[in-house]
Amino acid sequence: MRKPTMTFLGSGLLAAAALITSSLAIAADGIEGIKQRGTLIVGVKADYRPFGFRDPSGAIIGLEPDLAADVAKRLGVKLELVPVVSSNRIEFLQQGKVDLLIATLSDKPERRRVVQAIDPQYYSDFVNVMLPKKAGITDWAQLKGKPLCATSGAWYNKEVARTYGAEIVAFDGSEKPLFALKQGNCIGYVYDQSMLQGKLLDADWKADYALPLKGVLDAPWMMAVALGNGSLQTMLETTTKDWMKSGFIVEEEKKWGIEPTEYSKAMHEKYKNATN
Amino acid sequence: MREPPPTSCDLPVLLPFRVSRTRTRFALHPAQAWLLGAWIAGLILVVPAFAQGSDAVRSPFQVVLRWAPLLLTGFSFNVAISLVAMLLGTGAGVGLGLGLLSEVPVLRRVAWGVTQFFRNVPWLVLLFFVMFLVPFQITVFGLRVPLPDWVKATIGFALPVMANVAEIVRGAVSSVPATQWEAAESLAFTRRQTLFRIILPQCLKRMLPPWMNVYALIAMATVQASIVGVTEMLTLTAQVHAAEGGRPELFAPLYGFALLCFFLYCYPIDRLTARLERRFETA
Repeated sequence: MRKPTMTFLGSGLLAAAALITSSLAIAADGIEGIKQRGTLIVGVKADYRPFGFRDPSGAIIGLEPDLAADVAKRLGVKLELVPVVSSNRIEFLQQGKVDLLIATLSDKPERRRVVQAIDPQYYSDFVNVMLPKKAGITDWAQLKGKPLCATSGAWYNKEVARTYGAEIVAFDGSEKPLFALKQGNCIGYVYDQSMLQGKLLDADWKADYALPLKGVLDAPWMMAVALGNGSLQTMLETTTKDWMKSGFIVEEEKKWGIEPTEYSKAMHEKYKNATN
Repeated sequence: MREPPPTSCDLPVLLPFRVSRTRTRFALHPAQAWLLGAWIAGLILVVPAFAQGSDAVRSPFQVVLRWAPLLLTGFSFNVAISLVAMLLGTGAGVGLGLGLLSEVPVLRRVAWGVTQFFRNVPWLVLLFFVMFLVPFQITVFGLRVPLPDWVKATIGFALPVMANVAEIVRGAVSSVPATQWEAAESLAFTRRQTLFRIILPQCLKRMLPPWMNVYALIAMATVQASIVGVTEMLTLTAQVHAAEGGRPELFAPLYGFALLCFFLYCYPIDRLTARLERRFETA
């Protein structure tokens, strides 16, 4: 057989993969790069209602896409949204596949080492309890000694049990505890407030359940850009402060049907009268 | 049995052998048809019963209907990934398969090594490998070529296709009786001529059914791309489920719809493969 070219196709694929790998991806060089390209590429969630989810046409809509659109408008460029999930969002940013992450990214010290966080954080999640309206519970102290459904592995389960004396009944994922709550196996469901608010957008839950308690254990969400992207960082910090000053985030929360959080209200108050 | 046509002579004659054509109609076995019918009936009739009570809540059937265009777009991505992966994989696989039959020992060993490697590693691992090692864009002579996720996934799936097709080619060629090689040699055909003019044309028929099998497997495997974040049908199904508030009763209808799409796509391929296998069966 004198057909080495054919065989090379096979091993060629491998070789090509190796070659491609060695050429490093080029991240957009700050704001200039984005303006040259004419598009701002933002990584958002597509499975986290109402912060980022699909509409029947396939477009990604929600609170975070709205924030991204505002950033693009300020830069005077078009917006491209890339759906991300928790396991790939940091990589996408580091590879330069997205310029910016607005994707329910909790502020953690180990994350701050690998990406450039934008301060102040644009949003904050809390821990809250979804309770039946007829239970009449209005204070955390009333949970003492009561069975409380939870998702196993959530970092705040122990904290809630210790501080408020509730008996945690943990299940896998978020569907099973919700089901247990409906069956009456527990008094309420303790979980991320942002997710519970999303649930309450459903007529199914809205009728009989609510979040009567004040959120606790706040966990801020941060926007993030690639390390060393100074110009975009500065621009976003100004933008965030501007949002807080104008109450944009509080408006957005209302637009998407969620009760404005303590955090966004407090930040609006803080920056409302700031002069810069 | 028909009466032999009247002939002018009364002597018993051997009539020419009549080839009865195999029908290529897709007939559902009664049990299969019943199952499929029951599934669809369940979707239409039984499932919406869940949603009675409040009018604001869409019934699962309405939900599936509402999102069907988006989900089918996702499905077309699965089909596109599988077709392109098959095309690339077949091209490379035929080359690799010929390498396996090469008379140059080094070439044969390299081809053997590549084939064995890609045949015996999990597809998902290959997919991860390609997804995370290949960048999202490459610069060729100063020109930036974007590599979207689905293209990378396609390359990831083409690799196992390549190895499997190589093995199909090798198997088909060695299934041709050795006497044909000898006969060709005695007629002064070169090895190359023998291979391309005599052996491979006979192999095409034999290779078709296993090749289609590989295709059906790849088509079903494309949903694995959802694990690495490619926006295909399964990813969209999960996102649609979230957009509809993640109601547990929507789980079965939405994923059932995905199942149905893949079944309706792969089942005819499977039937056709079986039919071709019977038809090409060498006596």
